[in-house]
Amino acid sequence: MTIATLSAPSDKQAAENQWAVETHGLTKRFGENVAVNGVELLVPRGCAFGYLGPNGAGKTTLIRVLLGLTQADAGTMFLLGQQVPRHRDKALARVGAIVDEPRFHGHLTGRQNLRILAAAREPEARDRIGPSLERVGILHRADDKVAKYSMGMRQRLGVAACLIGDPQLLILDEPMNGLDPAGMQDMREMILSLVAEGRTVVLSSHLLDEVERTCDAVAIVDRGSVVRQGPISELLAGASLALEVECSDPDRARALISATTIGTVEGAEVSAEPTGLGVTLPAGTGRDVVAEVNRVLVEGGISVYRLQVVQASLESWFLQVTSRLGSP
Amino acid sequence: MTTVPDLGASAPAPSAPTAKPDHRGSWIPSGGMISTRFMELRKRRGLMIALIVVIVGIPTVFLAIRLLLHAFAPHTYGPAGGSAIYGALVSGVLYVFGFIMAATLGATAGSADLSEGMFRHLVVTGRSRLALYAARIPAGLAIIVPLVAVGFTIVCAVCVFAAPTTLSYQGVNVPVGLSSAGLQTWAADHSDEVICNFGIRIEPSTPNAAALNEVLNSTPCGNGPGAPGIGKQPPGVQGQSPPSQAQISQAARLIAGMNYSDYARQFLYPSTALMIKSGLWLELEVVIGFAVGLGLGSLIGQRTVAVVMMIVLEVVLTPILSRARIPHLSNLQRAVVGLATAHLSPGGLPVLGGGGGGPGGAGGNPGLLPESTTVAVCVIVAWLVGWTVLGAWRMMTRDA
Repeated sequence: MTIATLSAPSDKQAAENQWAVETHGLTKRFGENVAVNGVELLVPRGCAFGYLGPNGAGKTTLIRVLLGLTQADAGTMFLLGQQVPRHRDKALARVGAIVDEPRFHGHLTGRQNLRILAAAREPEARDRIGPSLERVGILHRADDKVAKYSMGMRQRLGVAACLIGDPQLLILDEPMNGLDPAGMQDMREMILSLVAEGRTVVLSSHLLDEVERTCDAVAIVDRGSVVRQGPISELLAGASLALEVECSDPDRARALISATTIGTVEGAEVSAEPTGLGVTLPAGTGRDVVAEVNRVLVEGGISVYRLQVVQASLESWFLQVTSRLGSP
Repeated sequence: MTTVPDLGASAPAPSAPTAKPDHRGSWIPSGGMISTRFMELRKRRGLMIALIVVIVGIPTVFLAIRLLLHAFAPHTYGPAGGSAIYGALVSGVLYVFGFIMAATLGATAGSADLSEGMFRHLVVTGRSRLALYAARIPAGLAIIVPLVAVGFTIVCAVCVFAAPTTLSYQGVNVPVGLSSAGLQTWAADHSDEVICNFGIRIEPSTPNAAALNEVLNSTPCGNGPGAPGIGKQPPGVQGQSPPSQAQISQAARLIAGMNYSDYARQFLYPSTALMIKSGLWLELEVVIGFAVGLGLGSLIGQRTVAVVMMIVLEVVLTPILSRARIPHLSNLQRAVVGLATAHLSPGGLPVLGGGGGGPGGAGGNPGLLPESTTVAVCVIVAWLVGWTVLGAWRMMTRDA
């Protein structure tokens, strides 16, 4: 592993670094399997950052490497401006994380578990136990044994464990797992409130809808590599344009569109459906094309009842990206 | 294409970085870490009950039953305490089970964080993994050492305060604490019991051997099952004149003199020095058990396997390797920690289970593989340091 021989930056220098997470060429292998493959990741401070990828893409492994739970084989990484693992203690002092399913000592209460974790942190952490439990909404169950907690409550306790360190950076791996709809709503609001306080939240999740509603920027990881990253709005602007057309005689409508220049554009797809047409146009297609579709259909004697531009969702974009990558 | 996002890059941090250094990278655990680790272990109800039952409960119940039996039927059941009971409980119960229970506690402390998913949370705090390991040592010892002290104190108290009032030596009730002259004077007054029951070894160099033989041949003992006399002869031979009372008393004095060194090692109850040495020896044993259990538990990450291995070591391997004579492997046998601790056992303690020092300590037990005190101390230190280093190394290198 490449380790830069840098001295520890001062707290001020580290705080001025604009990246909460910065990795270069980060690689982790398990035998022949490359779980993290030269990852270049830049997570800006003060935002909610989604980290997406299909199962087995290496999301959790990257998080484990970042947190020093396992060692990297190559590359450099910085958390809050501090190089890890060289200055791991300084970096993790202001980091809170949930990795995989949060598990605790079942024979202890939630509060006692947090006391153990607070003791490993700075002395002030103990004073934050109560407020953290209150913030995640389990203060009333704080003195119950964790063995009696539901999965959702353990998730909340995991977040409380993060908060006792007053973290600048939170790394949450699938924090919505086990939460009911109300719990997911609470978690979403809490993440947004944490970001509003100026903290950075890195959210690894397979719930694309949640990520889209919560995060400002995302990175897509596939087969161990980050293949896209950036603000969601920018990334979706590069997604294909979809039109839903409700009309009479869908088969003839499809033939009309296919016969025009619209249908011959590379990447365009026209499909007949029972109630109309589905038209997919490549990224960057202008709004004029929408009017052109309408004109061709009307002039061809097709009754157009509804024509709607479907905004690309993160999910559809994610599927586009990962399916394209997955194709031979 | 990778686009670098430009969101909130200049957003303020929630609060300034910690002003006070908390020495998070130091290998020395904080007091809070030790106390919370102590709490974590103490709250394991099943484990604590098992520890208390085995280390305190078994000796207490055993002694309580003996006290009750003696109180209700003093002629049938002897006193609850005494030197023999002390030796049996210290060597047979507290020594063996103390080691096993200490190892169980150590294995739990070494593996629980990992198996219960807490290790990951602790590592993410940025605290030195070495400090996380080191915190378990004083926390665990703070449980097991006082517990053994309580069990041992109960044993000492009962064995001292409920000790027999007379010493049963070779089946004869003898006053305790007599000098050599005192024992001989007492023997002259109880000549028949002494002649018939005390051990006798007549050699050519023995003074007045002929007169002694004459008295032995003339004394009607009956050679019952309780008469262990060495070289004792059958009751008086026909045709010989019976020895005078003065001759019998003189013979009893001689026999008492022969037995004095053995008699002097008999006590009604353990001496203060023996109790202090035994207590320290027991605590050493449980410290070793805890350290090895902790290291082994941390090394393999599982409690059950570690405990089973420790039981096999203590109950099976140590007794065998302590007494077997395996050609060319004597030094390897001496490396067994149970043998080393047995060699450090205080004089006067019979070691029944875990290795055995025997009466007079290890030196008094001819069955034990010989080992010098220096070697024994080195072996113990090596086990303590070795397992601690192994456990700490695995903790530092393990994927969390």
